[in-house]
Amino acid sequence: MELVFIAEQVANGLLLGFYYLLIALGLSIIFSLGGIVNLAHGAFFAIGAYLMVTLTEHIGYGAAYIASPLLVAVLGMIVERLFLRRFYRSDPVLSLLFTFGLAMVIEQGLRMIYGASPLQFAIPAFARGQMILGDFIYPKYRLGMLGVASLALLGTWWLLNRTSFGKVVRAGINDPDMVRALGISLAPVLTAVCGLGIGLAGLAGALLAPITGVHPAMGHEILTAAFVVVVIGGLGSFWGVVIAALLVGVIRGLTSYFYPPASEASLYLLMLIILLIRPRGLMGERMERLE
Amino acid sequence: MMKYEMRTLLMVLVGLIVLPFALQAGGLTVTSAVDCVLLAVVGLGLNVLLGSTGLVSFGHGAWYGIGAYAVAIIQLRYFPDSVLAPILFAVLLVAVASVVIGLLVLRRRGVYFSLLTLAFSALCFTIAFRWTALTGGENGLGGIERRSLAGFSLDETFVFYTFIAIVGFIIAAFLLRLSRSPFGHVLVAIRENETRTKFLGYPVMSYKLIAFMVSATITGLAGGLSVLNHRIASAESLSVAFSGELLALVLIGGMRSYAGPIFGALFFVLFREYLSMVTENWLLYFGLVFILFILFSPSGLAGIGQRVWHMIRPPRDTAAAMAARNTPPVVGEFPAFLPQHQQDAIVISDVSKRFGGISAVSAVSTTISAHGVHALIGPNGAGKTSFFNLLSGMFAPDSGTIRFKGRELAGCAPNVICSAGIARSFQITNLFKGLTVRDNLMLSVLARHPSRFSLFKTVERVDQVQTETQELIGFLGVNGMENAIAEDLSYGGQRLVDMGLALGSAPAVLLLDEPLAGLAVAERDRIGKLIRALGDRIGVLLVEHDVDRVFAIADCITVMNQGEVLIEGTSEIVQHDERVREIYIGSGTEALAQTVRPSTVSDQVALQVEGIEAYYGKSHILSGISFAAHEGEVMAVLGRNGAGKSTLLKSLIGMARLGAGTVSIDGHTISTPVPETMARMGIAFVPQGRRLFPGLTVRDNLMLGRLRRDKAGSNAWSDEKIFSIFPRLRERYDVNAELLSGGEQQMVAIARALAGHVRVLLLDEPFEGLSPAMTEEVFNAILKLKGQVTILIVDHNLDLTLALSDTALVLDRGRISHQGPAMPLLKDLEFRRQKLWV
Repeated sequence: MELVFIAEQVANGLLLGFYYLLIALGLSIIFSLGGIVNLAHGAFFAIGAYLMVTLTEHIGYGAAYIASPLLVAVLGMIVERLFLRRFYRSDPVLSLLFTFGLAMVIEQGLRMIYGASPLQFAIPAFARGQMILGDFIYPKYRLGMLGVASLALLGTWWLLNRTSFGKVVRAGINDPDMVRALGISLAPVLTAVCGLGIGLAGLAGALLAPITGVHPAMGHEILTAAFVVVVIGGLGSFWGVVIAALLVGVIRGLTSYFYPPASEASLYLLMLIILLIRPRGLMGERMERLE
Repeated sequence: MMKYEMRTLLMVLVGLIVLPFALQAGGLTVTSAVDCVLLAVVGLGLNVLLGSTGLVSFGHGAWYGIGAYAVAIIQLRYFPDSVLAPILFAVLLVAVASVVIGLLVLRRRGVYFSLLTLAFSALCFTIAFRWTALTGGENGLGGIERRSLAGFSLDETFVFYTFIAIVGFIIAAFLLRLSRSPFGHVLVAIRENETRTKFLGYPVMSYKLIAFMVSATITGLAGGLSVLNHRIASAESLSVAFSGELLALVLIGGMRSYAGPIFGALFFVLFREYLSMVTENWLLYFGLVFILFILFSPSGLAGIGQRVWHMIRPPRDTAAAMAARNTPPVVGEFPAFLPQHQQDAIVISDVSKRFGGISAVSAVSTTISAHGVHALIGPNGAGKTSFFNLLSGMFAPDSGTIRFKGRELAGCAPNVICSAGIARSFQITNLFKGLTVRDNLMLSVLARHPSRFSLFKTVERVDQVQTETQELIGFLGVNGMENAIAEDLSYGGQRLVDMGLALGSAPAVLLLDEPLAGLAVAERDRIGKLIRALGDRIGVLLVEHDVDRVFAIADCITVMNQGEVLIEGTSEIVQHDERVREIYIGSGTEALAQTVRPSTVSDQVALQVEGIEAYYGKSHILSGISFAAHEGEVMAVLGRNGAGKSTLLKSLIGMARLGAGTVSIDGHTISTPVPETMARMGIAFVPQGRRLFPGLTVRDNLMLGRLRRDKAGSNAWSDEKIFSIFPRLRERYDVNAELLSGGEQQMVAIARALAGHVRVLLLDEPFEGLSPAMTEEVFNAILKLKGQVTILIVDHNLDLTLALSDTALVLDRGRISHQGPAMPLLKDLEFRRQKLWV
């Protein structure tokens, strides 16, 4: 029996890792290409969840799952066009402060519109119930989400590694000036990347809405965790972020089983240890402008 | 100067006295006044890091919270009847904890530092929230008593306010003094230019750690006092949101001004108190205000105030006028602090350094004496700058020893080497840009002075530093411009100050990295004389490409080539050495270059350049460059290192900014080239060092070359056509580009340029770092391109370059000094020497 419990915690941890991953991946690509640390990423996650709740009332679950991340992505592109663009060439610290202010405004805005108390949001009827595999029992909805999250990640991986868009992004992270010298403008690429990264956060928000509950400050905790993941994984590395997210998720899952009070602290401890051993994270590369 | 301090403190005092009455008159409480004073204290403390040192701590709430919990826990558990003991112990605890945490987080800079502090604050938050037994968890720790102090009961509202106001005043006075102390000046130096601060001999980490400790401890003290104000300690203050609010209030107040955080705290408290009466969502509006400040006035309220003040009373523009002044062409009197008649020498033996697979410096041995001018010359990539970096502590050598005055210096940190008497200047001007000339030089002098760590005296009171700074100003001849901001100076003025920074360290040996680069002739003369004069007093090691001047002023010359010492001796010996001449202008005997190729140049102009001026920062790199390249022409762009060859290619592709002039191609005339448009118009760039995209295959690299240069009617090359010239690439097509050999990478870089619409091909150092066999292959490939596309080629192998070319353009210090057919330069070595050597 003991082993099954542990397996269940590992599964929960993996699931958690996938959410971190959806958020951390967006943070990481916006950061690598534009040099912007987006502290408003968690706020976009919250917008995704709120949109999910609102849209479900009008267009139903299925359509809302598709529409809310897309709307968040569009919002992200608008924010990039209007504001983030100004910060690409400036001190990264300014963008850090700006996005912090933006997060504050979004969070308070949500509070103003929807009120401070959490919104109730039920799991859709078709996804209720459990899957039973021998001793192993797992909620259907969570398994479904695991599937959707994996698909989104695969899609992102495919986009970054198999399309010419992705190749421009990767080349641009490495040597933006040389990309321009081949006649390729990076401005629209940066807009698209912000849309993609922020859209992923919106997707995570929509998926998580029925599980964590929907409240204005929901972006906070997950954002710090996502930063820890990015820092552990190493900036600008796709697989570093993947490994770190799953590692962090599993370690959190296990500590919350064995010693619940330390479940959040474990994360920061892990980060501290890894940074002491590998200052640039597991697979991070040296980026002069960020040091 | 003391008047400034007295005046400021008087205003703080008046503010502290008026504050509670003003707030009460406005319908607020004395508790709000206490909040305001405490937030101002935190703001001032935080600004030691944010404004002075340039470190953005996103977790200062943690120190506030730790101070708060510490006071609460210590009073509840150990000193229930006291207020002083809990505060003192709490402050001590924060001080110790901040040193420990500082040692960890200060290992990183910039964004990483911010993220680490943010994580630290989040960690403290979860501990406070979860460790209920210690912190009371969600409910916090209540029941704190103010007790009494020296017979006064702090429960009396005004007595308590007075107590807080006194503490606030003391902190304000301390931080005002700190900002004017040697320590405070060094913090600003770290913000402006951390690298240079290290090279002036300062142990930067110690400064940062002390600043971190001071900042955290003051914040912790304010946190502890806030517990007395509200009689409860809660986890709120540990939240990231609170840390962000602290940053916001400092930024809104103005982080570059002493009083900024005070105004910020007042603004924050008023904003919060009044707006929260009207709306629950006051933070929404606060956030909006914060965003507006970042977008439109990053210098905060203080900055706005200053701008308004300048509108009312426009400042006399003395600083700018000073900056424009020319320095007199005389060498002033030597500063007394410069050593003289030193007998020691730097003895370097068998020093080597590899970067990746490339051997930058291999087994170099030489001796640099503490008098005379010793020059280091050699072609690009000879390892001169790497050698300099090893000597000055930028990198540690892999092997070998550097001994000076009986000490082993190989691998020592820059500040240690500087203190040992070896100071350096930088090739790219490396000043404290935002500070005045005087402050720049003062910082250099201060580094040698025992009071450099002092927090309590003002810099003006350290007489010796002032005297020596004045001597240095006199020697450099910058009197009258010492109050100008360094970055407003002319390029020549900046180079002079850069050298002055190194001299302020009172070096026995001065290392100068290309002190003449980018200077006009008159300035070259002046700095040349200065270097010669210095050489009669101390040792000077000079890396310089202006070989004429090097031969004129150096007592000893070391020539490096490919990481090794080629020859060492006097100007006379070196100047007439065949090998030296060969590495600079070639031998004319390269086998590859022997066969004469027919030229197929048409008379149609492909590229027309008119009157180009180009700058790098303030240094004038190209002036008045005009030429035309014809269809199918191969043009060699020649000249010494630093003549502006690479910059010319970069300005044609739009990577270097044009000050004036136009580039015309296919009937379009462009005066502000940007890379995207130039590339699409048919300028294809093969940069020095290839710059392929690592992680992508050859196929993808070519695909990116094609992606946006697919103009209709273009003469882009198909893969098949590319393979016909570079057959190797067919089999390497799906290999990751970074795994290819240097020669193969060069082929990919050329192929990538050819893969899109191409009218003019720019080749920057195509033969650099290639083996002889690969050189031949690349040479033959370029030969096949001849006649098919217009080519501009820059390479230090003159024999090969000239053999490929129809015409040659020689640059000398940014101007065209010769233009004509390539053949005479290729064949007539004496003619070549005349045009390109001394």
